[in-house]
Amino acid sequence: MIESPQRSRRNLLKEVWATGAGRAGVILSAFLALVAIYVLVTFPADFGPTRWSNPAIWADNPANAAPVWTQWFTSTDHAPHIVLEPGPGKIEEGETGVDIATFSMPFTFHADEPPAFLSISVGDVVFVDRPPSVAVSLHRPDGTEVSLYRHVVPGARQGETSPYSRYGEQPLRVVLGPEPETIEGARLLLEEEYGVTVATSRIQGRTEEVLFGRLRPDGQLVVLSGDYQLEVRATLHSPGDTVGSVGAVVGGTLFGVMGTDSLGRDLFQGLLFGLPVALLIGLLVSTLSTGIGASLGLISGYRGGKTDTLIQRAADVVTNIPVLPLLIFLVLIIGSKLWVILLVLVAFSWPGLTIVVRSMVLQIRDGAEVEAAKALGASSTRIIYRHVFPHLAPFILAQLIFFAPSAILAEASLSFLGLGDPSIPTWGQILEDGFRTGAVFLGYWWWVVPPGLAIVVTALAFMLLALGTEPAVSPRLRRTV
Amino acid sequence: MRLLRLLSLRALGLLGVLVVVLFLLVLSLGATGFSDRILQARIGEDIRQIRAGLAETIRDPDQLEEALEARRTELEQAYGLDQAWYQRLPATVGRVARLDLGEAHTLRSFSGSRRIFDIVLERLPNTIVLLTTSLVITAAIGLYVGVRMATRPGTLTDRIVSYFSAVSYALPAWWVGILLILVFTFYLGVLPSGGMFSAPPPPGGFARFLDMLYHAVLPVMTLVLVGVGPYIYVVRTMTLNVAHEDHVTVARAKGLPEGVVTRTHILRVAAPPIVTGLLLGLAASLGGSILVETVFNWPGMGLLYFEAISGTPDESVIVALTFVYTLLYLITRLVLEVLYVFLDPRVRYD
Repeated sequence: MIESPQRSRRNLLKEVWATGAGRAGVILSAFLALVAIYVLVTFPADFGPTRWSNPAIWADNPANAAPVWTQWFTSTDHAPHIVLEPGPGKIEEGETGVDIATFSMPFTFHADEPPAFLSISVGDVVFVDRPPSVAVSLHRPDGTEVSLYRHVVPGARQGETSPYSRYGEQPLRVVLGPEPETIEGARLLLEEEYGVTVATSRIQGRTEEVLFGRLRPDGQLVVLSGDYQLEVRATLHSPGDTVGSVGAVVGGTLFGVMGTDSLGRDLFQGLLFGLPVALLIGLLVSTLSTGIGASLGLISGYRGGKTDTLIQRAADVVTNIPVLPLLIFLVLIIGSKLWVILLVLVAFSWPGLTIVVRSMVLQIRDGAEVEAAKALGASSTRIIYRHVFPHLAPFILAQLIFFAPSAILAEASLSFLGLGDPSIPTWGQILEDGFRTGAVFLGYWWWVVPPGLAIVVTALAFMLLALGTEPAVSPRLRRTV
Repeated sequence: MRLLRLLSLRALGLLGVLVVVLFLLVLSLGATGFSDRILQARIGEDIRQIRAGLAETIRDPDQLEEALEARRTELEQAYGLDQAWYQRLPATVGRVARLDLGEAHTLRSFSGSRRIFDIVLERLPNTIVLLTTSLVITAAIGLYVGVRMATRPGTLTDRIVSYFSAVSYALPAWWVGILLILVFTFYLGVLPSGGMFSAPPPPGGFARFLDMLYHAVLPVMTLVLVGVGPYIYVVRTMTLNVAHEDHVTVARAKGLPEGVVTRTHILRVAAPPIVTGLLLGLAASLGGSILVETVFNWPGMGLLYFEAISGTPDESVIVALTFVYTLLYLITRLVLEVLYVFLDPRVRYD
C-alpha cells in the first residue's frame, strides 16, 4: 500500500508532470514565481508606506481611470494621459530689465472627450531680490491663446536671507480646472471667439470641455483635436533668478495596464506587489503549519501513550474551533500586523494533518521495516527520520502545497474586512478599498475584478500542483476539509 | 446504552472546545490590554458628558474636579476597572456562557433594544434563512451532478465538472458576490445589490416574502457557487470509491436494476461521508456568511459582526458573537455526530 520511498521520491516530479493538472500547475506557478522575483528585484521593500500609501506619488494620475487597453473595445476615442516635461526654459530679455523664461510644452490631443483634468507644476524656484511671477497659457490648434493662470512666488519672509528658494521639497502643483482665473479664461474664449456670453457658474466643472472644445453653430461643444501648446512663462527680475523644473499633465480618462483607483494609484503596481506578498503568506503559513502538524503527528503516532492522548485531544479541540470568527477576533484584538495574521493562521491550521499523519504512522510503526530497524538497535529519532518519515514525505509535501491557497484566501478575507496590515498592500486590501468606496456600484470593474482574479489564479496554481501529486500520493488519504 | 455513552462523550469533547474558546477570549482580551483600553475610553466619554452636565450647576472649578473625580471612581467600579482583567473578565465571559450576553454600546436592534440577546435573536433567523436555503440547493445540485459524474468517470463532462470544482475551491465567496453584483446589478440591472427588503418594503405577508426572495437571489447564488464545487467533488469521489467495491459487482451480477444498485448499494454505503461533507460545508459557510452578508448588506449575524468590528469596536458584542458563532458551529458538529451514528452502523459497534 505504501510505496518504497526511493521510488516515490525519484518519480514525484515526473508523475506530477505526467498529469494534465500537474503540468498546468507547474507552468502556472513557474510563471508566478518569475513575476514575483521580478517584483522583488524592482520594487522597494517599503513600497507600502513610501509609495502606495503616499498620495503625492499618484497626484498626477487621473482617478478612477479604466485601463488603456479598453480603448480597443469601445467606439469612443478616449482622452490619452499626457505627461509634459519641457526642456530647459528659453530665456529672453524682456522690457525694463526683466528676463522672461519660457517653457513651452507642445502636445497633440486627439480624442472624442476632453481631458479629465489639466495640471501644472513648478519647482526649485530661486530668486535674489523680487519674487518671480509665473503665467500659464494654452495655445489651441485654431490659433487662439487662452490665459489660464498667474501666480507670484511668495516673497522674502522676515529674517530670511537672499537667495531665497521656494518649492524645493514640494513643487507647487495646481489643478487648473477649478481655478477662477482658468474659468475666466474659458469664459473669455467663448466670448471673444464665438461671441457667446455665459455666466462663469455654467463653466464651473466643465472648464476642460471649453478649453479643449469648439462651439458648433448649433450650440454644441465638441472636442477640438489637433496640436496644442501649453506655455509657462516666468518673469525673472534679477540675473541669478531661476525656475528649476516645470511640468504639466493633461489627464486622460484611461491609464496604464490596470487603470487607477479613486486616489489615482496605478492598480497594476499594487497588483504586482501583491503577488510576492500572497506567495509569502501562502508558503510561510503552509510550511509552518505542515511542519508543526506533521511533527506532532509523527510524535503522537510513534510515541503513543500519554503524549498521543494529549496531542490528539488538542488537535480535536482546535479542529472544532470556527476559524474565521476567531481569526477576526484575534487579529482585531492583537493588531493588524502581517506576522500576527500569519501566526494566528498557523495556530489554527495544523491539526488536520496531525490527525492524518498519526494514523499513517500507526500503520508504519507496526510494519516489518520499523521492526527490523528496532531489532538492529536503531534509536527512535533515527527510526522516525529514516524509516517512518520518508514514507510520508510525498504526502506531507502534497499537503503543504494543498494548504497554501487556504492561507492566501484567509488573509484576503481578513483584509477585505478591513483587518489587513496597512503597511503592506495586498490584493484583499485593494478589493476592500474598491468595495468600501463603492467601485462596484459605479462599475469600476478594473478595480475589483483583477485583484480577485489574481487571488484565484494564485490559489489555482497551488491547487493544480496539489492535484498533480495525487497519483503519486494515495488519493484515499486526501483530506475532505 | 453504548450509543448514549458514545454520544455524551462526543458532546463532552465539544463542550471542551467551548471552554477553550472562552478561555482564549478572556486571555486575548485581557493580556493585550484591549479590554482595559476600551473601558477607559468609555469612561472618558461618560465623564465628558457628566462634566457638561455638572458645569451647569457647579460653578467652582475645584469643586467640579472633585465631583468628577468621585464620579470617575464610581464608574471605574461599575465597569470593574478597579479589578485586574483576570478577575473581571472571567465573570464577564461566564455570564456570556450562560447566554446573558449583556448590552451593546452603540449597536441597537431594529426595534431599538440595546440588549445583545435581542439583537442576535433578531439577526439569527436572517442568517439561518440564507444558509439553509443555499445548503438545500447545494445538496440537491451536488448529489445529482456528483452521482451522475461518478457513473460516467473520465468523460468530458466529468473532467469539466472536476475542473469547475477545483476552481470553485479557490474562489473567495465575497469576491464572487462582488462579481455577481457587478454583473446582475450594475450591468444587467435585474437584481438588487444588497439589503433584505426594498425600501419601503411592500405591504402584505406574501409580497414581503417575494421581496425577500428577490433580495436573497444573489447571496444564495454566491454561497451555492462557492459551496457546490467542492461538494460535487466529495460526492463523486465517495460514490466512485464505493462503486468499485465487490458487493456492488455482486449486486449487478444478481441482475438488480441499475437504479437499485445506485440507490441501495452505492449511495447508502457512501451516505456517511456525503452527509459529513455537506454539514462541514455548512459549518464553513457559517464563518463565510460574515463576508457574504457584509458584501450584500444582508442584516444577519455576519453583518452584525462586521458592524461590531468596524469603527470603534463594540467589545461586548464581539465577545457575544464569537461565542454564539462557536456555539452554532459546535451544534452543527453535534448534529453531525448524531447523524453519523444513525447513518453508519459500524460506529455503533466500534
